[in-house]
Amino acid sequence: MRYWSLIFALAAVFSVGAFAYAPFSADWWLPNPAGEPYHSVSTFGREIDALFLIILVLTGAVFIGTQAALVWAQFRYADRIGEDGLPVRPAQYFHGSQRLEVIWTVIPAGILVFLALYQMDTWAKIKFRSASPRTPVLAEVTGRQFQWAMKYPGPDGRLGTPDDLFTVNDLHLVKDQTALIHLKSADVIHSFFLPQMRIKQDAVPGMAIPVWFDCDRAGRFELACAELCGWGHYKMRGDVVVHETEAEFQAWQAAKLAEQGRSQIAGADEPEGDDR
Amino acid sequence: MIVRRCIRLGLGLSILLTTAAGCSDADLTGPIVYEEQPAMSREVEGKAHLAGKPRIQEKARKTLARLYGPSPKEIHVPEGAPLSKDEQGRLGVLLANHVQTAQGPEKLPHAGGYGLYRRHCLHCHGVSGAGDGPTAPFLFPLPRDFRRGLFKFTSTPNGARPERDDLRRTIRDGLHGTSMPAFEALLTKKEIEQVVDYVTFLSLRGETELALIEEGFIADDEDEDALEDDIVDELVQSVFGKWEDAADTVVDPPVPRTPPSPESVARGRELFLGRTKEKLECAGCHGAKGLGDGPSFVDVDVFNRVVFGGDPSKMPERVAKLDEKARELWKQKLDEWGNPLRPANLSRAVYKGGRRPIDLYWRIAKGITGAQMPAHYPGIDHAQIWDLVNFVLALPYQPELLDDAPAPAAAEGVAADAPAVRR
Repeated sequence: MRYWSLIFALAAVFSVGAFAYAPFSADWWLPNPAGEPYHSVSTFGREIDALFLIILVLTGAVFIGTQAALVWAQFRYADRIGEDGLPVRPAQYFHGSQRLEVIWTVIPAGILVFLALYQMDTWAKIKFRSASPRTPVLAEVTGRQFQWAMKYPGPDGRLGTPDDLFTVNDLHLVKDQTALIHLKSADVIHSFFLPQMRIKQDAVPGMAIPVWFDCDRAGRFELACAELCGWGHYKMRGDVVVHETEAEFQAWQAAKLAEQGRSQIAGADEPEGDDR
Repeated sequence: MIVRRCIRLGLGLSILLTTAAGCSDADLTGPIVYEEQPAMSREVEGKAHLAGKPRIQEKARKTLARLYGPSPKEIHVPEGAPLSKDEQGRLGVLLANHVQTAQGPEKLPHAGGYGLYRRHCLHCHGVSGAGDGPTAPFLFPLPRDFRRGLFKFTSTPNGARPERDDLRRTIRDGLHGTSMPAFEALLTKKEIEQVVDYVTFLSLRGETELALIEEGFIADDEDEDALEDDIVDELVQSVFGKWEDAADTVVDPPVPRTPPSPESVARGRELFLGRTKEKLECAGCHGAKGLGDGPSFVDVDVFNRVVFGGDPSKMPERVAKLDEKARELWKQKLDEWGNPLRPANLSRAVYKGGRRPIDLYWRIAKGITGAQMPAHYPGIDHAQIWDLVNFVLALPYQPELLDDAPAPAAAEGVAADAPAVRR
């Protein structure tokens, strides 16, 4: 019967294999741009990845230790029945071991306290309103069943004016500039999730929540909803486009605004934009 | 001991086998089949129907299956259908992922309209495009029923078929303020073309079905020649013709937009309030403050109570409980599909058909197909339409524009004197 322990050993080996292999596979590892599987594109991303690695190493070590102990105990103390049909070794009962219990409570508690203190600075930088950057708002993003509606302030830099630009599922920002958005929800709780930038923030009805992030690679990234918000949850996917330069962003915005101001099908002169 | 082992083995095996068998919903959904118009076999009040005409019903069904295929999984495309062709000139290949050739089925390099529709659209718009998918009852406004070929937000004249670009725009950008999401980030351009084709296909099929019912309604069940091939051909050609004509009827404003100066906005305001000689009735529906609460429609609270006040399928019961005046008004203000309507709240800057000036021009100049918004051209000229567009676009940012407008109660008095309000 002691060979049952091998099944447990197998499960442990698979699990350890999985996390040991993950860093060597772009698909298994953290979501990063293609071609640069170990480069996290945002400042917060790099901090969060460092925390993640610490936790992975800690939990990995604990996992290996506990699994080894589990398998060894199963193997060593499996019941054996002698030729007379009786157990070779009678079971022993004892009522707890204070020393053991103190050890296995204090070690995890210590680890948890360490993590709680160690991550506080990162948490504050990402989530505390007092840490929000003093930059103009890039856009107001409103989650609704089932899409992300974006409102950019347009050329005048102010939201709620006639030159605002409206897009759906289409977030644009500039490389290496901190993007500040105001996150809202029109109906239920959604979650604004930028996997490559390691940003996740719930959008709560009735609140305008500031969210800020940056990206040091130009290109196309993903936006998803990370809170099951209804039957169309999976449809809440958007494109995030990071422009190389501010000028490129402005050109995109100007082209979008021209289309938003279209008054004839083609070829006609566009009237001056609403600049009142 | 042995018994316990057997139990353990059985338990383990059953868990393993369940996992291996996987999950299948085949037993839940049943075969996917087109749903018939009720008028095909039942009496429908005030409409053409084929009740009591079993032979004509049979003919109509066979014709439909011959023309468009017996089930969504086997699509036939009638010659001359207004659908896309591929490089080899094959019609309707965007609809499916296989095409039947003399050598057998040939795999196509795309998912096909049906596959994409089934994944992204069917849950609301239904198998036959009737707007009756499983998630439809939860929505307001209800999803479009394609089977009449009518679409609200188009660039073509009121009542005309949409242009391809209109459907493309609706799928790509969605309809704001409704449950139609934007698919730009979910589908590629090519995939959107496939979906446009499939929606057109469902419309053609639905329109042909209705045409067959209408034709059969006036025919005698004993008549061997009823719904003969050449008659059917004519019907189908007339259905196709409407779609083919759409591209030539697109309305392009002949004069560019008037720059949105305060003067233009002020002129638009006078038009909106019906203070010009054209006596427009905008405020009658959209309200004196543009809040979508004009007296020509049922009161907002009553409307909300009826539409959102409980089980959607019990809405008729809630309507029946209204007083006679409200009930009468309710009946008058349904759309072409018999669904309740609400005039737009112009203060919210949410425009279902799009916020570009050209979109608003279309809404005002030619009204909204199937809804109560009437066409205003040529009642007012192009410049006046642009003034109105400028006013509507300015209103959300300058609500004070309507501050001194008559209060809703006073507007009601005005409306009572104006019979045109009760269209």
